[in-house]
Amino acid sequence: MSHQPGEVTRRTLLAFGGAGLLSAALASCARGTDTMPAAPGIVTLNSDNPTWGPGYDAASDVLEQRMGYRISSRSVASVANYQQIIRMTAQTDSSTDLIKWANGYRLRDIARADILTDLNDVWDHAIAKGWVDEGLRDSFAYEGKAYGVPLYKSYYAVFYSKQAFADNGIEVPTTFDGVLDAASRLRDAGITPFLSPGANTWESQIWFMQLVAAIDPDYYQAVTTNGASYQDEPAVQAMEMWASMYADGLFSAPDVTSNELPGLVGDGAFGMMLYGTWFANSLLAAGLTGDDIGFFRIPPIGSVDPAMVVEAGSLSVPVKAHRHDAAVEVTANWLSEDVQTAWVGFLGDTSPNPQALPASDLVTDLAGEIARVRPRELIRYGEASPTPLVEGNLQDLGSFMVNPSAANADATLRSMQQRAEAEWKIWDAA
Amino acid sequence: MSLSQPVTSAPQAELDAVPSKAPVRRAPFRSRAAAAGFLAPAVVLVVGLLMVPFAFTVYRSFFDDNGFTRTFTGFDNYTALLTDETFGQSLLNTLMWVVGTLVLPVGIGLAIAVGTWKLRLGALARFAIVLPYAISGAATAVVWTFMLSTDGGLDAMLRSVGLDGLVQQWLLQWPLNTVMMIIATTWQATGACVILFLVGLQSIPPNTLEAAQIDGASGWRLFWNVTFPQLRPMTIVVVGISIVGSLKVFDQVLLLTNGGPGTASETLALTMYRETFTLSRYGSGAAVAVFLTIVVVVASYAYLRRQLRPEPK
Repeated sequence: MSHQPGEVTRRTLLAFGGAGLLSAALASCARGTDTMPAAPGIVTLNSDNPTWGPGYDAASDVLEQRMGYRISSRSVASVANYQQIIRMTAQTDSSTDLIKWANGYRLRDIARADILTDLNDVWDHAIAKGWVDEGLRDSFAYEGKAYGVPLYKSYYAVFYSKQAFADNGIEVPTTFDGVLDAASRLRDAGITPFLSPGANTWESQIWFMQLVAAIDPDYYQAVTTNGASYQDEPAVQAMEMWASMYADGLFSAPDVTSNELPGLVGDGAFGMMLYGTWFANSLLAAGLTGDDIGFFRIPPIGSVDPAMVVEAGSLSVPVKAHRHDAAVEVTANWLSEDVQTAWVGFLGDTSPNPQALPASDLVTDLAGEIARVRPRELIRYGEASPTPLVEGNLQDLGSFMVNPSAANADATLRSMQQRAEAEWKIWDAA
Repeated sequence: MSLSQPVTSAPQAELDAVPSKAPVRRAPFRSRAAAAGFLAPAVVLVVGLLMVPFAFTVYRSFFDDNGFTRTFTGFDNYTALLTDETFGQSLLNTLMWVVGTLVLPVGIGLAIAVGTWKLRLGALARFAIVLPYAISGAATAVVWTFMLSTDGGLDAMLRSVGLDGLVQQWLLQWPLNTVMMIIATTWQATGACVILFLVGLQSIPPNTLEAAQIDGASGWRLFWNVTFPQLRPMTIVVVGISIVGSLKVFDQVLLLTNGGPGTASETLALTMYRETFTLSRYGSGAAVAVFLTIVVVVASYAYLRRQLRPEPK
């Protein structure tokens, strides 16, 4: 076979292709950016929330003045992928200097592997300065050492439509019966009272944890730490109440999503949703303001003390961080009032530092009320027990939301208790 | 497997032709070295990206592994799996997927290919069926989530034509959710089957069909006794692809129901994902992966071995 000069032969193609693959393979063996410290004056942070970049930038402007370092954030949008990446890289020198993680048992799970830095001194300093409530520390600690500081702090509260409340003459309720009454009136006016996602998602925990916390905060604490059974009275009562609220038509279908909220507000079809206040950030992005949406906390059922469920992400420092000391220094400054004001100014959410208030007025009233009432703060269910136990129970609760009958309530609690017995054994043995 | 067939059969024929007593002439070293050189990249890739990870997965399945520490537990992961009732549900769902995708996309694909290939406007009809095949699996799932969620597209359509009684929670009740997901997949996957069957139909010599028609065969008899037997090679491929595809179905289920409510609609691939990525139980996840691999390999081997057996001469 003869070839014209300049014609690309099969061999040339193969040779070039092979050389290309070889150089790509060699390049990937070279030390990447993650295996070296970032540029001077920069600490890196990895997170699973790609939309928070501008918030880190705003906080960095203050951090830079305080300590001469900025945060450069990167993110992995898939939560499942992010968790695997952290579990793998935190054991190597490819780790970022700071990582976002959850608190509670999710933090304890990786703290047990000795990959995170003990931040007890940072906590002592922040508490002495009055930057953070000492009660929060326990949910970041394992065997007496704290392995992260609160990256953010959100409360679970009811988002309600001010328009729908005004149209139907509903006052913001201060008792649990008042909540049920408001919901009934919205239903009678043709508005779905509570938007309640969760059939196949983490959101199945929300109403369960809130009802148990409102009925008996001590029991909530006990049942999530293997100190009580899921088949005890308070949980049974919570499930009965949840089932009867479903029977009364107070909830949406369980396969809605929270993203439908702004559209429903536009249609005048939104009533209420019990959710984390971090969601305020999405509402602000959708153009909603404090004129549209208000917040109230679920009042206690009966004569117990008021309690609220708290979700707090963790800002942690891997032991193998390249700029380890600077990263610890960032955590030490993170909770200061000026950094937090810049940070929640972006988030539009409450802050771990009670003095820092967001610029938007969405959650300001709620933050003021929390400061006044000082409700007991309970860790969110998703982090309150070992992860496999929680994940399994969330699935049970999602199934219950699809079929919320009294008979299914019993079966759900039985299954949750069986899982609790098995999983606590595994946790304690590890 | 199908690729290796022609490669091995040609030298086989040559060897058969050589008298058995003749000394076997070995290729010179230079050409054997050259052959090894050409094979090396493929061998390295297959070993490095397929065999080694698989061996590691098998190894890992015998350990209790949380990503940080690893303790040997023998067959514990497997026994735990086989005694777990959610695993039984997962197997049942996977079986439903295998049967469902054999009956629906393959059956409908065959019917559409045979029914339209000689029609004047057949191309138009086929285009409509094949079009969804161009959409990615994830995008399909998003569209069908809108269709099948409570008060979604399908419910609204039923209400608008007065069929309120048929309104359902399509994705929330088992087994309806699995059936609906198979239907959603059918909408997307039928196009591929149609294309493959059309290729098969075009390779049928027209004189066999003409001869049958002259002999008076038409309609169902023509299809069943003349067309379908000659489509056999293509049917084997389509059914084989369909079985393997349905055994490892993942994306549609993850996006439409996430295996729920609870674990009601979970398939084996989702169980593997949940154990590994949600629960960080890498050993259990590896055990499901090994189990799934064995099922896929055994099913494919048994099927292809049976179908590709050479005709007796």
